Amino acid sequence: MKPIVRNSLLSLLVIIFSFSVFVVTSQVEAQDTIQQAYLVGLIEDHQSEPIVGADVILQDADSGEDLAATETESDGRFALPIPPQIPAAMSVQIERAHFENVEMRLQVSSIEHLERGESLTLSRVTLERKITPAFWVAAMVFLVVLVLIATGLFHNTLATLIGVTLVFGFSYLGSLVDDGLFIFDFERSLQYVDWNVIFLIMGMMIVIAVVEDTGIFQWLAFVAYRLSQGRAYVLLPILMLFTGVASAFLDNVTTMLLMTPITVQIALAMGINPLALLIPEVMASNVIGVSTLVGTPTNILIGSFAEISFNDFLINLTPGVLIAFAGLVVYSALIYRQDLRDADKPSEMLMERLAERGKIEDAENLKKAGIVFAGMIVLFVLGEQFHLLPAVTALMGATTLLVWIRPDIEAMIEAVDWTTLVFFLALFITVGAIQEVGLISIIAGVVGRLVGESIVLAMIGITVFSAVLSTVIANIPFTAAMLPVVAFLSRTVPGAESKMLFYCLSVGSAMGGNGSLIGASANMVTAGIADSAGYPISYGYFLKKGFPALLITVALALIWLLIHFL
Amino acid sequence: MSGIVCAIRGGPTSKPTISRAIALAKETKKVLHFLYIVNLDFLAYTESSRVRVIKEEMHEMGDFIVLAAQEKAENQGVEAQGAVRDGTVAEGIIEFSQEIEADYVVLGSPRAEHEENVFTRERFESFVAMVEKESGAKVVLSEIERS
Repeated sequence: MKPIVRNSLLSLLVIIFSFSVFVVTSQVEAQDTIQQAYLVGLIEDHQSEPIVGADVILQDADSGEDLAATETESDGRFALPIPPQIPAAMSVQIERAHFENVEMRLQVSSIEHLERGESLTLSRVTLERKITPAFWVAAMVFLVVLVLIATGLFHNTLATLIGVTLVFGFSYLGSLVDDGLFIFDFERSLQYVDWNVIFLIMGMMIVIAVVEDTGIFQWLAFVAYRLSQGRAYVLLPILMLFTGVASAFLDNVTTMLLMTPITVQIALAMGINPLALLIPEVMASNVIGVSTLVGTPTNILIGSFAEISFNDFLINLTPGVLIAFAGLVVYSALIYRQDLRDADKPSEMLMERLAERGKIEDAENLKKAGIVFAGMIVLFVLGEQFHLLPAVTALMGATTLLVWIRPDIEAMIEAVDWTTLVFFLALFITVGAIQEVGLISIIAGVVGRLVGESIVLAMIGITVFSAVLSTVIANIPFTAAMLPVVAFLSRTVPGAESKMLFYCLSVGSAMGGNGSLIGASANMVTAGIADSAGYPISYGYFLKKGFPALLITVALALIWLLIHFL
Repeated sequence: MSGIVCAIRGGPTSKPTISRAIALAKETKKVLHFLYIVNLDFLAYTESSRVRVIKEEMHEMGDFIVLAAQEKAENQGVEAQGAVRDGTVAEGIIEFSQEIEADYVVLGSPRAEHEENVFTRERFESFVAMVEKESGAKVVLSEIERS
């Protein structure tokens, strides 16, 4: 036989054999599918939250022998395959760390049902929380992380990494001594990480790194000066607006890092105390930043958790933010009226220097960045129609910019704040630990009892509580911890289904940053640069100017939310 | 090269220092050099990795602060130059003084006891002695003004 014929026959045989195996296997699988009966069910906690990863074991009730086992999925559901040989008595054992075990004996009628090869659905099973030593450990670790961040004893990222190390240390090593110290394993901890948040922040960081090199901020500041024609009381709202709008699309810290030095120069050229412009600017940054999904890290967290889209923020929050901003402008003009009146005739030499600085440094790249950024905004707005996640839009925009502009890729990689991304990763795990042991669930229960069934009380309570707490503790961990609490209230308080409580959290946690110098990172960097220019901003000074601003802006935004949603 | 080094930080607390330096330049007929040191310690407050961009902006701000001081000196008929350097204030002043072989270094007074990037009162006297020793320049202090 010729080799070509032999090979062809061999190939044909292989194909026929493969096809036969496929057909036979499919038939066997089909038969299995037909004959296989399942015991299905749903496991929840007492707040109707699905319990993930609970072990469901079918046992021979007489011998105690395990017959089948499975785990609950992310929606709390399970499907337990029933073995071919069914004993006369069976029970279902449900086990989950941090919950009391449950054992359910199947009724005779249920067993007969299964014997006929039919699947059986169990009634919903509610597991009761169990306070273990791990509960106290996770709570203490979270508290330690908050204190380390608040006191500045350790860098935010290091503080959360210490938290993660303690959580895993107790889970893996501590549980060798006492089982009750187990919080969760590594695999389970990763389920608490919101990758949408991580990739959205990373994508936006790359976009910002490209934009910031174009000189757009310096140009904007000088345009503000030219528009004001040297009148300080006109310059103030324009600068606040420009800074705020930039903060709505870029992160507040970067905006203030780039706006503060040029603002100081404008103020010096006009003979104004720079703080009369800087404090209102950073407050505007904190207020207007809330208006979009990408404006603040807290909004990114909230948007991803509660599936609130870019459009939802624009429709439900932006009008309220603009009202709050108007109040802030009036307040700022009032408290700095004397400084604004003191403006001198600008120095010609200094103004010439400013004019040189206020030029676009890289018009070509700015044009490209503008086109890509506009495309990103369109996708942010339209993306939800075809389930395009904001994180994907941000990554697509960042990659397009990198390909089109071809900047130094190493510089771009360096521009990504990896420490921030690690901070978020570690934060998700640390907050996940207190969720896992039930602390968040208990807090949610207490808050739920406090607000009762009053949606108004819930809205006011969440807004004020988050605003006040954000003045003293870091608002990102606070917001991350509050998300499940707000989700619980959104389910239990009548009328809260339209996610309005999440907008209250957004307003409180971000605008609360105006209440104190340490309330927002943008405040701290502004103070740092102002100090370098010889205009220190003390804690007391910021509190005096910022806290009334917090009250005004939060009150106005809250009034908007109440009118809009009720 | 020789002259007077006047280390400034900007703001109201630098005004007496600038005035003293201008007066000294008039007396001695020496060239006045205003010096601003860019210090990025404040970046520790944030996770920002944009050190390069921020440094450029801080240099521009320093240039501007120095330019404003130069303008003031020139309005009073004193020739003035400006320089912006990076690093700690103490090292920056000594290095620049050595570089231009300064005759005088005009300094302000300690502003706050607790700040790390300015002189504490204890360090100030030893710093003055060190500048005089290492640069050969005489240190002139402006009037003490507490804010």
